[in-house]
Amino acid sequence: MITFDRVSKRYGDVDAVHELSLEIPSHEIVIFVGPSGCGKTTSLKMINRLIEPSSGVISIDGTDTSTVDVNELRRSLGYVIQQVGLFPHQTVAENVATVPRLAGWDKRRIVARTEELLELVGLPAAQYATRLPAELSGGERQRVGVARALGIDPNVLLMDEPFGAIDPIARERLQNELLRLQRVVGKTIVFVTHDIDEAIRLGDRVALFSTGGVLEQYDTPEELLAHPASQFVEDFLGEGRMVRRLSLITVRDAPLAVINGSLPPIEKVDADATLRDALDAVLRAEDGRVLVVDSERPIGIVDADVIRRASR
Amino acid sequence: MSTLRYILDNWDTLRPQVLTHLEIVAISILVAAVAGLALGILAARSERFAALILAVTGIILTVPSFALFGLLSIWFGLGNPPVVIGLILYALLPIVRNTRAGILAVDSAVTEAARGMGMSGQQVLTRVELPLALGVILGGLRQATVMIVAIATVGAAVGANDLGQPIFSALSRDTGTLEQVLAGIIPVAIIGIFADVVLAGVQRLLSKGRVAVAAT
Repeated sequence: MITFDRVSKRYGDVDAVHELSLEIPSHEIVIFVGPSGCGKTTSLKMINRLIEPSSGVISIDGTDTSTVDVNELRRSLGYVIQQVGLFPHQTVAENVATVPRLAGWDKRRIVARTEELLELVGLPAAQYATRLPAELSGGERQRVGVARALGIDPNVLLMDEPFGAIDPIARERLQNELLRLQRVVGKTIVFVTHDIDEAIRLGDRVALFSTGGVLEQYDTPEELLAHPASQFVEDFLGEGRMVRRLSLITVRDAPLAVINGSLPPIEKVDADATLRDALDAVLRAEDGRVLVVDSERPIGIVDADVIRRASR
Repeated sequence: MSTLRYILDNWDTLRPQVLTHLEIVAISILVAAVAGLALGILAARSERFAALILAVTGIILTVPSFALFGLLSIWFGLGNPPVVIGLILYALLPIVRNTRAGILAVDSAVTEAARGMGMSGQQVLTRVELPLALGVILGGLRQATVMIVAIATVGAAVGANDLGQPIFSALSRDTGTLEQVLAGIIPVAIIGIFADVVLAGVQRLLSKGRVAVAAT
């Protein structure tokens, strides 16, 4: 668990981060989101002390980070940045081996770990290990960046707009991969983005900042969309937040209507689909009723009423 | 042809002069490389130091070699020492300037990632910045070498027994011949071209995959 206790960062008279207190639970993805100048990146960089707080305490699992050797601290926290920052004079394998080498692992262990990590991010070592960063696509480079950050299996991964410079299609793929990866590795991930959709998609919790480093709301994406805490949050979430919220709820979890004796609906939707998909089916259906199937077995019916009740 | 004949006929006199010339250049460039690298690293870290050192080394380069060697011989006597010291001073500017430029050309995202992964300042320098700047640094070294190979000839004026000797002795006597002058100039040119080609090769070999910055 990472704890911010009244952490501030001032530059002259200007607050970049103002009295930030929040807890980041272990094994969750927490997103720092907000407009530019809201202190989200500053907050992230205070965790690995690339920026030192002006006041307040940041602790990881109860240990005040300011009491730890700064390089030791950084090696224990994976770090991924938007521009990736791969070492252009080193091969993919050498890049991934950076932190294990700093930590003094022996050669054989480093080779094995490097291969494992490259497989984990979907870049087969046989094909990629000896390539130079210049020979990779943007998406591949960022995957190497993630593999490099996971070098000595840190408990925490700090990601500073990692997919910000990647085209929308590749970005969505990387987002899915991150979620898949997270199911495997279960890290505590702090992820900075300015894209609220990315925040809602990836976050177990979302911390929404406003200009001047003020934490406006810290909640699950569902709560954020259902109950914005302020006008600022509502504005930042933008239009269509109720519809967007539907994509966070699986059909299975909605209060489905019971299948009664009469004619079952023709349209079907999978129980693991989102309510957004279900809404699409409802709009498509002649009678506005859609059968929910769990691997071909009907388990209930979804209609406009069900969706409305689920979205409250 | 007559120049070649002259060189062969006088090889016993020329041989030690070639060797002295090489020795003076080698010592000067080695010392200048070490000092220039250190000063260049400092200049990359501090803007104020950069302004100072680049101004000083720049001014040194404008002092005529004849005058500089003469001045240095007041303190260091005649012979090789004032020449070596003068050449070190001349060689500093290209090495310091290129070391600084090479380090500053390293993408800041790369150094941030390096620091963020827990490299100490020294590790960032030796594992990331210097390897990436190597091509540019070698470019400066190459420039400095070619330059001092030529300037070393002037050292003969303060008593260094190098390839300046045949040139000076020819020019200072009525009996001096063109062959005699060329017997100094041609070996100097060969040494200069050879050093340039070798260092260019090293530079190309070691710069593979590194940031491409035009070596000025």
